[in-house]
Amino acid sequence: MGNNSRTQEVLVIPCSGVGKVHGLISREAVYHVTDDLLPGQADTVCLALLVSGDAQTKQEVQQKPCITLDGCPKLCALKNVELSGGKIAKGIRVYDVMKRHRGENFGTATALSEAGWTVVEELAAEVAQVAEQPHSV
Amino acid sequence: MGQVFSKVGIISCSGEEIAEGTVARQAVRRVLEALRPQQTVTLCLPLFLAGEEGERRFAREHPTITVDGCSKLCAKRGTEQYSGQVSASLVVGDILGDRAKGCHRSIRNADKADEEAVWLVAERIASEVDALASSEVAGEATDASANDGACCACGKPSQEGKLEVKGKPVIIAGLPMIFQHLQKKGLLPDGSCADALLETVRIYHAIDAREEADYRDALVAAYQAYCSR
Repeated sequence: MGNNSRTQEVLVIPCSGVGKVHGLISREAVYHVTDDLLPGQADTVCLALLVSGDAQTKQEVQQKPCITLDGCPKLCALKNVELSGGKIAKGIRVYDVMKRHRGENFGTATALSEAGWTVVEELAAEVAQVAEQPHSV
Repeated sequence: MGQVFSKVGIISCSGEEIAEGTVARQAVRRVLEALRPQQTVTLCLPLFLAGEEGERRFAREHPTITVDGCSKLCAKRGTEQYSGQVSASLVVGDILGDRAKGCHRSIRNADKADEEAVWLVAERIASEVDALASSEVAGEATDASANDGACCACGKPSQEGKLEVKGKPVIIAGLPMIFQHLQKKGLLPDGSCADALLETVRIYHAIDAREEADYRDALVAAYQAYCSR
């Protein structure tokens, strides 16, 4: 999946919402990208650390294209990256992928069902596709 | 525990960069779902830090326990900045010591080491909840009927989240938020809004295909009422 000619690293940042399954899906999709699909080309940062105003994290989101994954309409990840001066390459909403599987049980905020993991795979593939494109910061 | 206390808020760091962040999150969920479901709720830290007043008010008015993955203490510091001193602050690394090294960020890779780590941290959180309850720091006694099990403060169904489907009341988590979101997106409360309403609500709430038409009518009526306010 990875393209060796592309050297620009992207940041993939989930909302990690702790109350519902959507947050867990966002988080697991990010790990699937950073650890399996684009190791060395994609990384993540702690959203809470960014929102807390950590200078180093802020600098990172300002210097690298960011792809955010949000679980709920409050769009915490997208909004907070924007507020920190980060450049959004794409803001992805978990439920846009979930609705392709309407009626399925995705699991809980603690554990994912098979359908939940399917959504993780699809989200991660979408992130990887965006990450492969050239971005300007 | 004989007496029923006001709920304790447990705030986990998001900690995406490190395995301890995942342990913190999973341990908080374990407390909410299995160990102390009647006494605890959780709050989304990024939402809290981003200025969600409901989350901040909850933390001001209830005892809170923060669970941080590292010494940067985002959860503790953020909570204290906006809502006052926390009742207890736990750090996963302090509880686990060297055990934390064997843990994973993704739950897909979780093994025995992760499972043990989550239990250890969860039990420690539960003991802090018990300490708060026994010292009555947890606030005034409340009606037991208000304690309806594990929930998220941001997603707890509000009265406005009630729908009347075929004469029966149905609670839908986050319904006002869904309406607010769709209204902002420009969805008009006319006959054409039904599909979008149904599509969005069913993400958060299972709707049986046989009840679709009833939900559709109920959602349109509720959305029209919401928009006319």
